[in-house]
Amino acid sequence: MVVGNIILRLRGSLEFKCQLDSTDVPHVQKVISRTFEALGSQVKAESLVLSLSSSPVFLWPNKGGHATAGEISPNRPCKDLQQLIQTDDQESSRKKSAKKDKNNPTAGIINLTLMTEVTEPGVLSAPTLLRGSKKHHLLQTTLPMDCVVSVLSSESISVVCGTLVGALCSQLGDMEKVALRHMKGTALLIPQPFHFLLPAPVGLVTVVYPAGVPDSQLETQRKELHSLFELPDDRPYLRRANALHFPDEPYKDGYLRNPHVHLNHPALENGKPYLVQGVYSYHHYMQDRVDDNGWGCAYRSLQTICSWFQQQGYVERAVPSHKEIQQALVEVGDKQGSFLGSRQWIGSIEVAAVLDQLLGVTSKIMFVSQGSELASKGRELANHFLSEGTPIMIGGGVLAHTILGVAWSETTGQIRYLILDPHYTGAEDLQVITDKGWCGWKGPEFWDQNAYYNLCLPQRPKTI
Amino acid sequence: MGRGYIVEDVVEKYLSNLSVPGASCVTGLLIGQSSSQRDFVVLAVRTPQKDTEGQGSPSVSRGAGNSLERLDVEWVTEHARQVSRMLPGGMSVIGVFLVTPPELSKEAQNTLRRLIFAVDKHISKGRLWSLTEEDVTEKVTLHICSKTRKVVCRTYDVRDPKSSAKPADWKYQSGVCTSWPLLTCSVGLNLVFPVLEMHVLPQDMEKCMKEGLQTWAKQIEDGLCLINGDAMPGEVELLGGQKKNAKAVQQTFRAQILIPMAEPQSERRLTASVKVCSGSLTLKGMVQCRAYLHSNKPRAKHATEVIKRDVINTVSSRVEMFLEDLLMEGEDKGSVGVQQVLPRRVFAPVPGMSLCVCDYMFPDECVSDVSDRLKEMLDWETPEDSIDTSQEAVPEAPTIDLKNTVVQKNLKAKSTLDARPKTPSEDPTEAHKSHKTYYAGVAMAAAIALLATGTSLIYLSD
Repeated sequence: MVVGNIILRLRGSLEFKCQLDSTDVPHVQKVISRTFEALGSQVKAESLVLSLSSSPVFLWPNKGGHATAGEISPNRPCKDLQQLIQTDDQESSRKKSAKKDKNNPTAGIINLTLMTEVTEPGVLSAPTLLRGSKKHHLLQTTLPMDCVVSVLSSESISVVCGTLVGALCSQLGDMEKVALRHMKGTALLIPQPFHFLLPAPVGLVTVVYPAGVPDSQLETQRKELHSLFELPDDRPYLRRANALHFPDEPYKDGYLRNPHVHLNHPALENGKPYLVQGVYSYHHYMQDRVDDNGWGCAYRSLQTICSWFQQQGYVERAVPSHKEIQQALVEVGDKQGSFLGSRQWIGSIEVAAVLDQLLGVTSKIMFVSQGSELASKGRELANHFLSEGTPIMIGGGVLAHTILGVAWSETTGQIRYLILDPHYTGAEDLQVITDKGWCGWKGPEFWDQNAYYNLCLPQRPKTI
Repeated sequence: MGRGYIVEDVVEKYLSNLSVPGASCVTGLLIGQSSSQRDFVVLAVRTPQKDTEGQGSPSVSRGAGNSLERLDVEWVTEHARQVSRMLPGGMSVIGVFLVTPPELSKEAQNTLRRLIFAVDKHISKGRLWSLTEEDVTEKVTLHICSKTRKVVCRTYDVRDPKSSAKPADWKYQSGVCTSWPLLTCSVGLNLVFPVLEMHVLPQDMEKCMKEGLQTWAKQIEDGLCLINGDAMPGEVELLGGQKKNAKAVQQTFRAQILIPMAEPQSERRLTASVKVCSGSLTLKGMVQCRAYLHSNKPRAKHATEVIKRDVINTVSSRVEMFLEDLLMEGEDKGSVGVQQVLPRRVFAPVPGMSLCVCDYMFPDECVSDVSDRLKEMLDWETPEDSIDTSQEAVPEAPTIDLKNTVVQKNLKAKSTLDARPKTPSEDPTEAHKSHKTYYAGVAMAAAIALLATGTSLIYLSD
């Protein structure tokens, strides 16, 4: 993200309503296009108002950025808008945002909502009533507008307003293309915008996908975009699950995401950290009302890995429960029927089998005969995180853990392991989890030096 | 502790000047505003004559016997409903009065009770906005003895059918409403209601419009209101700056109403909804809105409430009137596909006060009709030149939807197109183009130019 930039996000609903006199395709397409054109005019009308969330400020972007609050004039830099946003707890949010800024480039977003002024003088005469008697199909829906722009914080409000209106218009254009492309008869699939944070220099892009069409059927569209943005063609960037998660929208499922980003990484001489790429959820003992204390650690590590594949867009399947995991193992013949409902442990081999059965993911298995050998696996582990970037499940002795990264020095051989511990039984308290080391960096002494270990290294499928 | 009614001096004058011949009774309405602390009455209007012959209140038939029993409650309530339509926001019918000879004074209370409940029920019919917790539901009844001129003032809570009379204070004062703040705004409408089954019967149209207007009214009710360009928190006092004994001056406030452009989908829909319709109703144009607040520490939230209610009332009143007219005149088949002008709002000053009332003028009416109506409904003379008809402009001649086959037939039957009453003018304002059609498809009629700023039409096909 560019430093010195502010992100503004404009959301709202636009009413899409059109009358189809006939259902033949050229007519339908013409009417749909005309309706989008009319919405474009609506968005450029003087009656358009943007409401600055959590503040009493309203802006009229098509009136030069005129605002309600007296102290905001259209020539002021848009960063002044941030000062007017009222947060519940000013103190703590400032502290949090300072820390967030270094890790999350979308902190400090200005949210705006679409509104219209019904009292804006336009048509000046008394009302009339027109009765139309033509038979027609009435198509009606609301379009979920969601535009994000990144502007210099010194840019004036009037210019930023113009940029936002421009973004709305171009989003309407994208929506029209998607609507027409996927339309069948009179069934109009609702176009939905998704935001993606692509690697530099591309940055923030918004893509519109038709509702109800699964990612698997949108490969052509993604291929076009991958080539447009010059993205590698072997890993997903633009699946719906890859959509950018804004910091002000809490995850509804309650799991913590990427607790490791809040840690300080060890500084090794001539060494650097090699970490998991993307987003995973922290799964551990006692979650989902399952009391698996003492036996479920490998299951939880497997869940963490599944959550990674889901959130990177490789699978649409939800994270499997203990039951589903056991069922899968019975199905592949790895376990007998009596396994179901039991509290039997599983190991790396079983984890790999389940990943294959339920997610279609293959894994490499690494075996060390003694825990002390792990200290020499720096290069291999680093390479894994560089090329695959998936979380690793490690089982040995009587414990299972998840390795999220490794810090390794080629010259000194020093090594540290970033461990996510599934044995945690408490609540989703980030402070406790990071302070007490449930997610933390460990040294080679962490492993049982005499026990043998198996590691499951899941491989990314080569797909977009 | 009962309510206290502060009443304009002119009301006292009016009531004492009422001619009440012999043993007859006179009914009438009390108009004003109620706030949580205090109530204000600014007008009293007798129930008008049912027929032009005879004296006394026509709501009572002449002859001996107990005239109270023959009171035409329906007539009183209908008068109340018509008068309500003439009141801008903030003002409403808050009570009834009854003048009786002394021997009927005892029964008068019962009659007043019947009247006030019936009046409130009738004027609340068809209301598109809802009362809130803060609305005052106490209405006042005033009994005046025709001989002694003694006044008995009681209130009833019209929300509770079993409520009993509570005593209230009735105090006359001058200049009650001279400093009542005025709120104004003009609201643009562009509403399209689908008609699932197209009949031309007014009842079907009414149902369709009612449903559509209900949704629109909810949007207005839930919308945000800015006062003089400011989004004030509800508790802020509107007249905060004024000193207590400062010269009473009426302030005008400009209201702006903001609503979300559309309501987000509530269900998890994947496709647009498709309805097969046999027609549509399009309501387009601009309505002028006015509302008054009282001067007893009014707050921003009251201001937003009264102006929003006026917006909703003015639209629903005109539509009601239009449909009532249609019902009376009978259905004109040729009017389908033709844009019809709804009655437009005109304002008239209340004599001796800085308030206005309003009325609605049908396209074929003129100012003298309004003046006559004001005399009949509100019992006062209004010089024609004081009636302000300029607030809402007359739309240009209605254009014809040439695609409509019924209209085409009619046109073929007519010899020339000069049957149209006025010639449409050119489109004078380029600048307003952006405010016009929301539907970009505009068909060009062969010989008829499109309309000016007034009204935009929707053409439905290519």
